[in-house]
Amino acid sequence: MAVAHHRKIIHIDMDAFFAAVEQRDSPQYRNQPIIVGGSPFSRGVVATCSYEARQYGIHSAMPSAHAYRLCPQAIFVKPRFEAYKAASNHIRKIFAAYTELVEPLSLDEAYLDVSAAEIFQGSATLIAKDIKATIKQQVGLIASAGVSYNKFLAKLASDMDKPDGLYLITPAQGPEFAEKLPVNKFHGIGKVTAAKMQALGIHTGKDLRELSLAALQQYFGKSAAHYYDICRGVDHRPVNNHRVTKSVGVETTFQQDISSREEILRHLQDLLEQALQKAADKQLSAYTLTVKIKFHNFVQITRSRTLPHTVTQAYGLLEELIKNTGVGESSVRLLGVTLSSLQGELIEQRFQQMDLFRDF
Amino acid sequence: MKFIINREQILSPLQQIVSVIEKRQTMPILSNVLIVIENNTLTLTGTDLEIQIIAKLDIDPAEAGAITLPARKFLDICRLLPNQADIKIERQDDKIKISSGRSRFSLSSLPAENYPKFVETEFNNQFVISARKLKKALEKTVFCMANQDVRFYLNGLLLNISNQKLKMVTSDGHRLAIYEDVLEQPTGYEARIVLPRKGVVELARLLDDSDTEIKIEFSANNIRLYINNLIFSAKLVDAKYPDYAKVFNQPFLNTILVPKQLLKETLSRVAILSNEKFKGVSFDITTDSIKISAHNPEHEEAEEECLCEYSGDSLSIAFNIQYMLDAVSNLNSDMAALNIAANASTCFIEEPEEQAYKFIVMSMRL
Repeated sequence: MAVAHHRKIIHIDMDAFFAAVEQRDSPQYRNQPIIVGGSPFSRGVVATCSYEARQYGIHSAMPSAHAYRLCPQAIFVKPRFEAYKAASNHIRKIFAAYTELVEPLSLDEAYLDVSAAEIFQGSATLIAKDIKATIKQQVGLIASAGVSYNKFLAKLASDMDKPDGLYLITPAQGPEFAEKLPVNKFHGIGKVTAAKMQALGIHTGKDLRELSLAALQQYFGKSAAHYYDICRGVDHRPVNNHRVTKSVGVETTFQQDISSREEILRHLQDLLEQALQKAADKQLSAYTLTVKIKFHNFVQITRSRTLPHTVTQAYGLLEELIKNTGVGESSVRLLGVTLSSLQGELIEQRFQQMDLFRDF
Repeated sequence: MKFIINREQILSPLQQIVSVIEKRQTMPILSNVLIVIENNTLTLTGTDLEIQIIAKLDIDPAEAGAITLPARKFLDICRLLPNQADIKIERQDDKIKISSGRSRFSLSSLPAENYPKFVETEFNNQFVISARKLKKALEKTVFCMANQDVRFYLNGLLLNISNQKLKMVTSDGHRLAIYEDVLEQPTGYEARIVLPRKGVVELARLLDDSDTEIKIEFSANNIRLYINNLIFSAKLVDAKYPDYAKVFNQPFLNTILVPKQLLKETLSRVAILSNEKFKGVSFDITTDSIKISAHNPEHEEAEEECLCEYSGDSLSIAFNIQYMLDAVSNLNSDMAALNIAANASTCFIEEPEEQAYKFIVMSMRL
């Protein structure tokens, strides 16, 4: 029997996750505009806001001070990450009952591959509905679900009738769906590529479809094959239940801009120690260190260095990285440190390079 | 200022000067070359404030003066003019007119007074060495020098003079190269200085295989070399070079002798399937044989046996294959002599007949 075998992918996205956890735990917050994030009188930003707050035009990543101006009666709540983490773990346990192919994207989002599931006669839509109901009953939170035959379309689907949504994109609808989509909504097409495409007169999936693979390769190099596929509603990426951490990072926005070089170095050293701890928790060590600096005027730069050995404490290196960056001249509002080129310590132990000056 | 110079006379010193000038500059004038005419001598200077090259050229009687010009543009103009062309350079207000045959250029300039002075402290030590020897010493050590290591003193070369003995050492912590020689003349002093990486790399390019004597002067902060009509200056790395001597004071197993070319080819073949990042390969050494094997995360494997001369206990040891290849490739003899430390931490790679240089590669823990 020549039946095309389509995968069944569900994308679950929690609605206003942090805000919803707060409203669940504090009844007085219910039906109120809740903003989880930094204080409006500091430099913080909105992490998540409730749907009531969204009506005022507030959205995540907006400076809290701006949100306050839009809606002074909003309730600002400091994030409680332990509570979110606990809720997230609970939700992941629920997923595990349906399939072992779960790929969490963040605390509040995950892909599930239910192609092999047998309950509900394998109906992905019914499974999604059941997952939503179980989350609501056991965790007390609302999720939106997208169902389709690949990750890219499932993610688009979960966004279709948020909040409390359940949306299906069938294999027959997929290509048409992709055709109508503006290019910046495609997986893997970011701001820069989208702008490049606009400049080339490519605005939608349909425009993208009109280009041959060779033409795409000419403009977009390595990514061409992926673009060629997704504009036809094709996405071969598997649901990956053992995602590898590619980088770990920490950053901090200061209450007040800082300008002294020494102070900046001290903060970077602090951040580096936190990042190293985070990496160590995951049993990883890093070869690349990246420093991010956002100046008072929001100009942001990064400086990066890959070492022949793993990053340990690196005061001299931090000093070197901030050379010729304007640090010490312009004041700084945000600093960040990211570790990448990660290697599991197990591999590390297999072949560990001895050092003339350290191992003697 | 006004002078005429033959293309062949100015081209090579100009090229040498431009190579020290950084492409991206914090101070615009540092992209320029300083040109001074005085007593029928043309002096060209280029610097990045860490190193400086000065070239002195004799010219026909000319109008004295001093100015700075965009170095790369000036070089490109000279380079692309025909062979043996006479190039006329003349200042007109703040522009520099360059003409040759039917070509005319007008370059912008910056005043010579603004050109930063390369600060040097008084030189209290000096010695001489032939260009050929110095070139060889650098060639045999440069490849082990660290690049952008946090231990910044490793991004340089240790020059150690102990009366008549000369020692040069480079290391990135994983491997080390050492070159030892005897100077023609005793110096009567003991000194250890660290030359910066860029200076070493530039210097190696300035030297040829001739017997020309090179005078070297240095202080605690600076070094200066006189190479024909060039003066090369560099600021020294202000740090103590770490103690590497311990690596020599340990018991070793019997020497392993391997045909060098065979070892090099074997290593190159096995390297194809080593882990791209760590480059680790295993050496299983038994009587008269080394089995070199590699595998990578894609579960591909390579293995090759190499006949050698060795009697002693069998051992297994791992190395970064690139380090091994670099060291073996730098031997000039037909055979390579490998001396492995009894605790399997270190391998010395040298020529069977004692040579001025030897290389050390640290092992990888299995």
